[in-house]
Amino acid sequence: MNGLLELRDLSVHYRTARGEVTAVRSVSLGLDAGQTLGLAGESGCGKSTVAMSVLRLLPRDARVEGQVLLDGEDVRGMSWGRLRAVRWAAASVVFQGAMHALNPVHRVGEQIAEPMRLHGVTGSVSALLDQVELPSRAARAYPHELSGGQKQRVMIAMALACEPRLVIADEPTTALDVVVQAQVLDVLKRLVSERGIGLVMISHDLSVLASTCDRLAVMRHGQVVEEGPAREVITSPAHPHTQALAAAFPTVGDPASRQVTPSEGADGPVLLRASDVHVSFGATRAVAGVDLEVRAGEIVALVGQSGSGKTTLARTLLGLQKPTAGRVLFEGRELPRSASGLRAYRRQVQLVLQDPTSALNPRHSVYEAVAEGLRIHRVDGDESARVAEALSQAELRPPELFFPSLPHELSGGQRQRVVIAGALALGPRLLVADEPVASLDASVRGEILALLLRLRRELGLAALVITHDLGLAWTIADRVAVMYRGELVEQGTVEQVLLSPRHDYTRTLLAAVPHDQRSTRPNWTNSP
Amino acid sequence: MIRHLAGKVGGALVSLLFVVALGFLLFRVIPGDPVVAMTRGRPVTGDQLAELRARLGVDKPLTEQFVDYLAAAVRGDFGTSYVYSRPVLELIGERLWPTVLLTGTSTVLAVVIGLWLGIRGAWRRGSRSDRISTGLALAQWAMPTFWLGMLLSLATGDLFPSGGMRYPDTPPDFLSQAVDVAHHMVLPCLTMIAVVYAQYLLVMRSSLLEEMHADYLTTARAKGLRDDLVRRRHAVPNALLPTVTLVFLHLGLVVSGAITVETVFSWPGLGLLTYEALTGPDLPLLQGTFVVLAGAVITMNVVADLLYRVLDPRVRAS
Amino acid sequence: MTAIAWQRRRAAARATWREFASQRGGLVGLIGLAVITVLAVLAPLVTDASGLDVTRVTARPWEPPSASHWLGTDHNGRSVLLLTWWGTRISLVVGLAATVLSVLIGTVVGIAAAHFGGWVSAVLMRFTDFFLVLPSLVLAIALSTVLPRGLGTIVLAIGVTSWPATARLVRAQTLAVEARPFIERARALGGGHGHVIGRHVLPAVLPLVFVNTTLTVASAIVAESTLSFLGLGDPTRVSWGSLLHAANMHGAVSQRAWWFLVPPGLGVVCVVLAFTLCGRALETVLNPRLKGER
Repeated sequence: MNGLLELRDLSVHYRTARGEVTAVRSVSLGLDAGQTLGLAGESGCGKSTVAMSVLRLLPRDARVEGQVLLDGEDVRGMSWGRLRAVRWAAASVVFQGAMHALNPVHRVGEQIAEPMRLHGVTGSVSALLDQVELPSRAARAYPHELSGGQKQRVMIAMALACEPRLVIADEPTTALDVVVQAQVLDVLKRLVSERGIGLVMISHDLSVLASTCDRLAVMRHGQVVEEGPAREVITSPAHPHTQALAAAFPTVGDPASRQVTPSEGADGPVLLRASDVHVSFGATRAVAGVDLEVRAGEIVALVGQSGSGKTTLARTLLGLQKPTAGRVLFEGRELPRSASGLRAYRRQVQLVLQDPTSALNPRHSVYEAVAEGLRIHRVDGDESARVAEALSQAELRPPELFFPSLPHELSGGQRQRVVIAGALALGPRLLVADEPVASLDASVRGEILALLLRLRRELGLAALVITHDLGLAWTIADRVAVMYRGELVEQGTVEQVLLSPRHDYTRTLLAAVPHDQRSTRPNWTNSP
Repeated sequence: MIRHLAGKVGGALVSLLFVVALGFLLFRVIPGDPVVAMTRGRPVTGDQLAELRARLGVDKPLTEQFVDYLAAAVRGDFGTSYVYSRPVLELIGERLWPTVLLTGTSTVLAVVIGLWLGIRGAWRRGSRSDRISTGLALAQWAMPTFWLGMLLSLATGDLFPSGGMRYPDTPPDFLSQAVDVAHHMVLPCLTMIAVVYAQYLLVMRSSLLEEMHADYLTTARAKGLRDDLVRRRHAVPNALLPTVTLVFLHLGLVVSGAITVETVFSWPGLGLLTYEALTGPDLPLLQGTFVVLAGAVITMNVVADLLYRVLDPRVRAS
Repeated sequence: MTAIAWQRRRAAARATWREFASQRGGLVGLIGLAVITVLAVLAPLVTDASGLDVTRVTARPWEPPSASHWLGTDHNGRSVLLLTWWGTRISLVVGLAATVLSVLIGTVVGIAAAHFGGWVSAVLMRFTDFFLVLPSLVLAIALSTVLPRGLGTIVLAIGVTSWPATARLVRAQTLAVEARPFIERARALGGGHGHVIGRHVLPAVLPLVFVNTTLTVASAIVAESTLSFLGLGDPTRVSWGSLLHAANMHGAVSQRAWWFLVPPGLGVVCVVLAFTLCGRALETVLNPRLKGER
């Protein structure tokens, strides 16, 4: 048992200016050939540090304790020569973010062949590319000429170059679209079963791991809090942290994760209407004839892959981008064109951005960030009372405590609440939220979504939520609009669209969502 | 690629036209009456002034002057030098090659030395040799070129000739001439290298330092590459690219260096010619050297841009 | 609320200073600058300006250093020490004034080129790129030849030829800041050009401009000495460049008068090095990307 890789009581400490920080605390894990082990956890939980310690790739300021046994040999005790021989030949890594992990000035074929030459392995680059379903002419390409999914495949081909027995994949699909992610995961699964490779797969997304791995280990604060067969861990999580992670990636069609009752999005008056909106940038048509309505008090999800034009549509609805053709109406009146008219409109419709870390000016305190809108609009009255009210509406209580904080002193969830509070301070009727939880840790996603639902209930605030995540749409939306290549291919209530999709593209999207064993698959899976 | 090339060359032609127009603005419009500027501090009669005005063509309206000037400039005619009484272009043609020889030799040497020391410094950053070479580079960068030249000439005494390009009594065969020119070139060349290499060292060093944290270096190490291979095959080629652009962007610096170095060592090139023109002041000649020097730098930059396209695959594709 | 903001700014300034002070190079540069500035300011109080007048000299020309003239005398018999001391004033004033002009033009052009987009930006960028490749010394020579000699001319000539580097830097930084989502948020909140530039872009760009300023002073002082060396300076005033011009004209090299040659040049090197060291230390403090390197 546990012949291929065994971590015994592994701890990693980093020496920093503020003393030693422990990133990994007594982790013991094992893996056999032909097995897949999933390592789950939020950013900063130490999962990547574990991965890097296997090939001793940690920076110089890291101190490692415990044993890392690769085929029974302790990596920590190897000489540099022995270590170099082991690297890539015995174990290889599929790094996070293939964009940066490939050298931009070498052709990918050279980069795949480099470890083969180095370790004296015979083999052909085109055969490797073939295994990851890339044409052999891809070898002549430079990294920037390939798409994200193709680069990830190149990384996988490169990892297989010396036929290692162990492959460590660190967030191999994080930056990819759902559809591409599914393809890359399929390639990985197939290779593991064909070649009997041991695979360690690291991800923050439990559903990705659930669909690929036999065993799962969940990490938090450098420790493994739960470990076991994947199915058990997902279906009956024992540790509260695992439960929070599992809940953050809901399964479409699972009634337990749907937090909206169908009656809630009542038939309010139409607040925002886009009719036949077109936006072109030169020859590219980002938005090609969109009709969309958002009613008062309603949450609408706009779903699509990256590049589908959904963000451009959102910017057009906010008046940040002028439509090439078509009209945007708010309460029946066309959006003003003048600067002052648009400014008044902005009090009604507000924006919440994807990444709260970059959506807040790092130099501005929470108070300044929330008061920014009030100052722009020269709102009369007690500024600090309004700021305090907006912060408590966003559940940052007591608000005064947060006034002087700078963004970097807050957690990701708190930052997103500050962004929401900044929007709320102006008393808008509609929020346009662009991937509002995509960059947040799994355990705080639920809280932010609950906040949006509560704001709708208590303030009657409507929301247009833009997302690539069908699970998110399932959780909070009343209606869904699916966008593909600049057009809305399907829209309707969540139940209609997600449970009995009519358009092929919607079916493709739904099929690409990683599936675990929690729910029986609905009837659309056998369609293309 | 072809379209890009055409675009770049077109842009350069516009820039060259700008330079020519700027030459007109500087030497005909700003001085008010260029003749007064040229004869400042000398006793001249009204007739002499009028005669000079007619010779330079500055007695006509400005627009007409500009059209004449442009037409002449396109033909390569920059008028007649006031001091030498010879066509400006002829003078420039004579002085061009010594400058090309001096700046070419010293730039190539400075680039090689600078890049090599920069790579070494970045790879062993914080080490004693890095601190010394960086400190020295900073100190040299702070030195006015001409001062360094004078100091060198003072310090070496009679070891090297302190002025000119060759002795009049050297035998005319190629070898003796070449040795003589090389002998004369040692000091000016050293001076220019000393000031210019520092810039390249600092640029290369910081460019490589920036690459040191790149993820693809971790990939390379994970593959089992030795440290020096990681540096040679992966880090340096990436860091070299931004440096190439900067090397060419700093060519203006080389030209500035040439003007002062040639002045100090009486090296008969364009720099010395510029100096002679400004002491006159011989405005037609100065205008000519201005247009030629600026035009040369612009042309070199276009060459650099095209070279960069060949070197960097990322730019090549877009 | 402003009280909190000020308190925070003071704390930030203190932290910046602590970090700056922890770098030996920067501290050396700062002390050097302080000493040189004090000397320059005190020159009229401590020394006798009449020693600069060639008609009132008593010593012989080309006298090597001695007890009465610590750094010897020039071709007119004036004290080189006194000349160099007084030269500090003009070199510093010209360097600083030209820098202010240059940084002002560069910052305005840079922010405008990045912020407004469209044809304004395209024209400004083309304009900047054109002047960036133009050899600045050649342009400065041309300007100071055709304009009447004087301090104003030399400041103008250096100022209007050295701004493109600043403009390019500021433009890049402005573009980087404006690509950040918080600018989008500010626009969505209803903020106009003034708000975005004043509240977000300028505060983010100014530290960089400040660093750039110290480095620009260094090159402006070199430029001043070069122009004066070529005889384009203010003929009525003594600067380091004009001293070296005189030394070259009157054959100090062939006279082996090292005492006339070394001090003014050393002055340039000291001031330029001091500014450069300060600038690099500041850059390390204010540019978080460079922390821990260099």
